[in-house]
Amino acid sequence: MATTLTEQELIQSAKKLPDAWQNLGYHELNAILNLYGPDGEIQFEADHAAARQYFLQHVNKNTVFFHSKKEQIDYLIENDYYEPATFAQYPEQFVFDLYDQAYAHKFRFTSFLGAFKFYTSYALKTFDGERFLERYEDRVVMNALYLARGDQDMASRLVDEIILGRFQPATPTFLNAGKSQRGELVSCFLLRVEDNMESIARGINSSLQLSKRGGGVALNLTNLREQGAPIKKIENQSSGVVPVMKLLEDSFSYANQLGARQGAGAVYLNAHHPDITTFLDTKRENADEKIRIKTLSLGVVVPDITFELAKKNEPMYLFSPYDVEAVYGIPFSEISVSEKYYEMVDDPRIKKTKIAPRDFFQTVAELQFESGYPYMVFEDHVNDANPIKGRISMSNLCSEILQVSDPSTYSADLSYEHVGKDISCNLGSMNIAKTMDSEDFGGSIETAVRALTAVSDLSDISSVPSIAKGNSQSHAIGLGQMNLHGYLAREQVHYGSEEGLDFTNMYFYTVVYHALRASNKIAIEREEVFGGFEDSKYASGEFFDKYTDQEWKPATDKVAQLFIDADVHIPTQQDWKELKASIMKHGIYNQNLQAVPPTGSISYINNSTSSIHPVASKVEIRKEGRLGRVYYPAPYLTNDNLEYFEDAYEIGYKKIVDTYAQATQHVDQGLSLTLFFKDTATTRDVNKAQIYAWTQGIKTLYYVRVRQLALEGTEIEGCVSCML
Amino acid sequence: MTPEEVAQRIPTYQAINWNHIEDDKDLEVWNRLTTNFWLPEKVPLSNDLQSWANLTEDEREVSMKVFAGLTLLDTIQGTIGALKLIPDSLTLHEEAVLSNIVFMEAVHAKSYSSIFSTLASTEAIDNIFRWTREEPTLQYKAHEIIKHYEGDDPQKRKIASVMLESFLFYSGFYWPMYLSSQARLTNTADLIRLIIRDEAIHGYYIGYKYQRNMENETPERAAELKEFTYDMLQDLYDNEVAYTHDIYDPLGLSEDVKKFLHYNANKALMNMGYEPMFPDSLTDVNPAILSALSPNSDENHDFFSGSGSSYVIGAKEETQDDDWDF
Repeated sequence: MATTLTEQELIQSAKKLPDAWQNLGYHELNAILNLYGPDGEIQFEADHAAARQYFLQHVNKNTVFFHSKKEQIDYLIENDYYEPATFAQYPEQFVFDLYDQAYAHKFRFTSFLGAFKFYTSYALKTFDGERFLERYEDRVVMNALYLARGDQDMASRLVDEIILGRFQPATPTFLNAGKSQRGELVSCFLLRVEDNMESIARGINSSLQLSKRGGGVALNLTNLREQGAPIKKIENQSSGVVPVMKLLEDSFSYANQLGARQGAGAVYLNAHHPDITTFLDTKRENADEKIRIKTLSLGVVVPDITFELAKKNEPMYLFSPYDVEAVYGIPFSEISVSEKYYEMVDDPRIKKTKIAPRDFFQTVAELQFESGYPYMVFEDHVNDANPIKGRISMSNLCSEILQVSDPSTYSADLSYEHVGKDISCNLGSMNIAKTMDSEDFGGSIETAVRALTAVSDLSDISSVPSIAKGNSQSHAIGLGQMNLHGYLAREQVHYGSEEGLDFTNMYFYTVVYHALRASNKIAIEREEVFGGFEDSKYASGEFFDKYTDQEWKPATDKVAQLFIDADVHIPTQQDWKELKASIMKHGIYNQNLQAVPPTGSISYINNSTSSIHPVASKVEIRKEGRLGRVYYPAPYLTNDNLEYFEDAYEIGYKKIVDTYAQATQHVDQGLSLTLFFKDTATTRDVNKAQIYAWTQGIKTLYYVRVRQLALEGTEIEGCVSCML
Repeated sequence: MTPEEVAQRIPTYQAINWNHIEDDKDLEVWNRLTTNFWLPEKVPLSNDLQSWANLTEDEREVSMKVFAGLTLLDTIQGTIGALKLIPDSLTLHEEAVLSNIVFMEAVHAKSYSSIFSTLASTEAIDNIFRWTREEPTLQYKAHEIIKHYEGDDPQKRKIASVMLESFLFYSGFYWPMYLSSQARLTNTADLIRLIIRDEAIHGYYIGYKYQRNMENETPERAAELKEFTYDMLQDLYDNEVAYTHDIYDPLGLSEDVKKFLHYNANKALMNMGYEPMFPDSLTDVNPAILSALSPNSDENHDFFSGSGSSYVIGAKEETQDDDWDF
């Protein structure tokens, strides 16, 4: 069985390289990974050598040397790199012991990209950016000290969980914890925008503030009146959503120049908003420069009725948000379009236009080919599965955050009349393979939930009061999962096979139990529940019906055996009944617990396959502003187990959707689901995949990726990522 | 006119019929080229401004020269080269494909201007365009290529065109690929990779047509053309070596670039169906460059990293009632 290589094995592997390569630079060595060896084999040893050379040629030379941990910590505090408050919570000797504990694991990066990514983007550097002040172990200890908030036992457990690769905090947390000069620890923000100038202006201001602090921001534009809508009752005055998108795009790119991490934003619009076609056309290859949107991400919110209209091939009506709000007295986003559709069609007070729904879906697919956007949120699935009172009307930059919100109102000077509730989310992901290897599965989940809860407790985004309020009331977190494909391949299970689906189901089933149990324990300890618990399906007990009314157990022998071998207990109906009773009595601390993000950077550091989707390639080409073009071998891949690493384009959308559908039923928020197509696919194939995803109960769809292989005769010979 | 009179008129004009394809390669390449259509506005070049500011003076000079040199070559190919190939076409479909190539070459030439206007001042741009007029090695290759474009031998036109598309561009392409492997000017590299994606097909296609035409030539003529090809390549190679030293010596990269020249010279020969000229030992290109060169669209990136060079225009197809059967 292929597992993580030890330090000695990595060095031995690196030394197997031909002499001619021993002196190559690390980038060149890493690129050799993408070129087949003389016998058609993937040259993993080149990547091992690249990681080794990266340390020898770059990291070690550029690391500031300290004689002792004490000297290092004192220096970093005195020079304003570390916050003294983090250390003040612990006895000095404990801190030194914790460093020893971390270093005793003898952690080594398995891939070049893991090491390169960590030192390029995460490690603390001198203010001039020239030299490293931290190694990987130091960053882990700082995360543990910061997130454990003085709890020594928790700090020690967190060091192990992170270094052993079971739990990996999301980028903003892992990057910033314990530093003096830092951004926020929160990953994601979601803002409502209401149909007035004050709200738009606040939305732009908040986007700037949040981008500066380093999070991704999404805004819902569904409530904005359409182009040509009246302003102060005078017809044909409003210019619609596109100019607002332009303002936002410029705001994000401006904040990008100042911040440590690039600004990034997304906007969502309901499919039945009259500007939907122009909204989508902003991503056209030949769009006019005035309306063209380059860097802003787009998402459409699609209700069930749109699919039903497309099925019947009936016209699809778009409704003026201005009129809808006038008629119903609540913003358009607060209305279920599916529920009120025919009522609104028949209401003469609501101005409407019509388009053909199949054309709409086709346009969406065309744009997804050209640009990868828009994301899709199936709002009825989302709301049907929502255990919290209120309506979910949008998602975030990675389409995995799904929470309720509440509008704010403003005075003319932009001060708040009423502070509403906007959304933030603290993310972190479990490495499925490593968590299955954990001697205490439930304990690993609990430690992760506590760490994420700490991020929420420690965050106070005072620059955006609606975000601060939402966070202080909901304590929402998003525990994610990654390395599903890596785990399955390691265990010789094919992704999306019957056993693959069975495992996904049982794994997420077990995780949701432990996540809820952990949140329940926190509520008991603190005697505090999230705001609105009493109106939730947790309080009513309704949420638990599906777990108490039927037995969940593995359907295949293989998966049953995997859980037995790993010594992971699968919760029984009785376990659920007890948990239900405890939660109905004591509540839970976190309004939301799970969300499965796409995990880019952190999965490289953690040596995982991204999220729960299949690998994009056996050797992935990664391109980023800070990294350039780098090559990443799928975790656990060897020249002997290639058959288990079929890539996402080969596997096809059905198995991916099936896998996500298994997980979706146990996840309260969303899961970033990317659809992968070969360039032989047409818009119809994309539409079929979307219809399939929707019928399988998927909540959101993330990017569409299209792979085009070089025309026969023009390819580069012997390139790993070029071949199937 | 009576039908008889019409029939007697010379020439008779033909309408292009895409339902009757004489050479499947025409349709295959046409489909690929149209799928790959792009415009430079797609790429957020301004995200490279910071990276540009961090280049050394020498590196910026190399960049300016490289992109100016490439502009000249694409100008030649767009305004003279590909146009001159059209009358030699064997099929109407080939003419259609070539007209696409003509247009894309114009897009490429304009793309370099986008890079210039994003990164450099007007004065610097004017200076570098003056340099393209004064640099002897650059003017030499332009003259050598155009000489054959304007000559009267259709096969030599194709040879010149493949030399340009598959060989001469690459001394310039080396530089953005090199920078992007070190995370510098990555958006510019995305744009260049889109150009490489096109040029790889252009060189391949024109080389393929050269081979088709060769089937109708006598053995003596075939031998003459083969000799001509190697002679021309050797001549251009010598000039290219001088050009390479001129540009890359300040950075100490010339030896590495030369290996890349050997690699692509062989590629150009292969496109025309000839044996490689340089042995493997001279073509061991820096793996970082070789890996980056792949014209596949398969890199993985996210919203923090610009648009990448990976998306294509999809084929439209309406959904059918069956698809909505849920």
